Amino acid sequence: MPKPCAYVLGAGKTRFGPTSKTIPQLAQEAIIEALSDARLDPCDIGAVIVGNFLGGPNESQLHLNSVVAGLLPGLNLPSWRTEAACASGGVAVHQAVLALSRYDNILVVGVERMSNVVGMELTRNIGMAGDVVLDQIAGLNFPANYALVAQSHFAEYGTTPRDLELISLKNHANANLNPKAHFHLKEVCQADIDAGPPVASPLRLFDCCPVSDGAAAVIISSRRADSRSVPILGSAVASDVISLAQRSTCTSFPAARAAAEAAYAEAHIDSRDIDFAEVHDCFTIAELVAMEDLALADRGQATMLVRDGQTSIGGRIPVNASGGLKAGGHAIGATGVGQIYESVLQLRGEAGSRQVEGASVGVAHNVGGVGGTCSVHVLGGAT
Amino acid sequence: MNHWSCPTCNRDYAYELDACTWCHVPLVRVTPVSAEVLATTEVAVPSVGHEDVPYWCALVRGADGVGSIVKLDYAINVGETLRFGRHTEVDLEVVGILGTGVMGRGLAELLLARGHRVVLCGRSEDGLAAAKAKVLDRLGRVMDEEQVRQAECRLGVAVGYAELSSCDVVIEAVVEEMEPKKVALAQAEAHMRSDAILATNTSGLSIDDLANALQRPQNFGVLHFFNPANRMRLVETAIGGRTSPETAAFLDEFSRSLGKVPVRVAATPAFAVNRALMPLLNEAVRELEEGVADAEAIDEAVRLGLNHPMGPLALADLIGLDVVANIMTNLAERTGDDTYAPRPLLRKKIADGHLGRKSGQGFYVYER
Repeated sequence: MPKPCAYVLGAGKTRFGPTSKTIPQLAQEAIIEALSDARLDPCDIGAVIVGNFLGGPNESQLHLNSVVAGLLPGLNLPSWRTEAACASGGVAVHQAVLALSRYDNILVVGVERMSNVVGMELTRNIGMAGDVVLDQIAGLNFPANYALVAQSHFAEYGTTPRDLELISLKNHANANLNPKAHFHLKEVCQADIDAGPPVASPLRLFDCCPVSDGAAAVIISSRRADSRSVPILGSAVASDVISLAQRSTCTSFPAARAAAEAAYAEAHIDSRDIDFAEVHDCFTIAELVAMEDLALADRGQATMLVRDGQTSIGGRIPVNASGGLKAGGHAIGATGVGQIYESVLQLRGEAGSRQVEGASVGVAHNVGGVGGTCSVHVLGGAT
Repeated sequence: MNHWSCPTCNRDYAYELDACTWCHVPLVRVTPVSAEVLATTEVAVPSVGHEDVPYWCALVRGADGVGSIVKLDYAINVGETLRFGRHTEVDLEVVGILGTGVMGRGLAELLLARGHRVVLCGRSEDGLAAAKAKVLDRLGRVMDEEQVRQAECRLGVAVGYAELSSCDVVIEAVVEEMEPKKVALAQAEAHMRSDAILATNTSGLSIDDLANALQRPQNFGVLHFFNPANRMRLVETAIGGRTSPETAAFLDEFSRSLGKVPVRVAATPAFAVNRALMPLLNEAVRELEEGVADAEAIDEAVRLGLNHPMGPLALADLIGLDVVANIMTNLAERTGDDTYAPRPLLRKKIADGHLGRKSGQGFYVYER
């Protein structure tokens, strides 16, 4: 194993799901848990990076770096906000790794409030992750984007709605084991899925992640502090043209492939070394595409692993033991940071009833829009 | 569907830019004539700007190899070909409209916005000029100047019905009374091609009685649009005893081509919607007569209690109290059930010249 590019000293996360808590309250809850987990004092923090997507349209609150830095009053820390749609959190973590040349003990906070905006307005706001000219004017909201991906995957590889249902069932079962999951207490069975209304054909309600509030925080350092420090072996971001209209394929995200390739190269691993994956399953079809883009399966072959139960906890390559976005929740700007939080728990053996046995290398995959941005992090290995 | 291409390196851009990022030369706009459908989805969830669902999004690739997303109000299959620009206009029906009232103008606005040529027929030059100005003014709220100018080129106005010989479809939208409708339909038919379709926008008169005025009842049916025609998605379609199956099918197909949802109803008095609506409006008038509450309160109660977008009295004002009373009278006469007949207060409003929004006063007073 190469020298890690960074260490996660501490991690914290609120429960994802609807809440009346404000952005400062959510962010603070995650920050306190991360500081406590790292056994650090606020004065030890060297910089603050905030991952957030919809503060402007949902909350009329931009300049969030200052809002979050205000949770550490008097320190006047360097801080900035990162926005890359649903990949805001993952990209913020990558920025922290890069910024270690200048600062240490960088606090990365992903935070999002979504439940205060409902229905058509929220669907429009999330749609801002798509191109305003190519996608938004044509009514291509996010379910519709991933519906086109699903239909193309069906046509190209013979994937079926049943495969997507298996992913939904698995991730809901995993979320039942995760007290911080959006649907921790909701038991979802086949009858629920069958009763789900159509959203954008072929996707139905239970193919879609929920709208969640939440925050997650991690503290990134260039130095290992103790045996609970978790190494980041590879950290990469790649981007692509924003609209499916501009791509030559709908069944794979080239940005995800590029980020995975770069992160694996930095970590000196290949996909066979990976013990578990936290992937960006904003829709069930996205989990299949993610597994293939991460080379956990050949193109069109991820369904085989799903049908065999190999992606369940206890399977050969557990995917989204946390419940993923689908059932763990998708507090957009917090999601990528939350994936790091989950990976840290798994690699320390602190994941409780959803612990992946023998987890020593994990991958976190966070997508913005419909593949316009992707971050991939490889964590674990020898500490 | 446009994209911009560099004439030097052939790189394509989705946006209107001044120059190529590599070559710094001006870009050329490219508009394909057709595109193949690669994937589609039926979108069932509305969003701001896309309130009417379902609609369809298609990922298409133009004949020039450039992709785009197209919003459609009808289902389309993978592998089908979409055509753009002038090619579609040739296929669109030329539509005649009889009447320059609210529905006549609304239909003209809808059809022009969808790219059709329209012949708007009225009784006077002045009335037609006013109607034309109103239609173009409405279109100016959703179109730029060039689009309005093109729409104006597609809009003809005519006193009398001689111009209807160019029309594929004619929709009658004159006053909601049997005799004037019969006269208008018969005179229009006399000028129409023998294969053209004639439809009435009646909200509930007997189609077979109307058809008695015609030489070609097989080409005649009901297309009942709702006000405002450009926004309301429902079209009630109905056929008479002598309507041909081809005409019946056309009524639904034509409605769908306008982005509407046709619902076939039996040719019974007031069809499905007004049959349910009129007793509601009449009962709200009766509540007012009996002092249950004032007009604002009755409307607010129904809006909040039934989740209606507007109250029954405000709606009656919007439709026009004379129109509402005509439908009620017709319902009462044809069913023999006097409970459908307009309430005395409604009759009094009409006698006083208070016809609703269009006269400046009805159950409410409107600034003109």
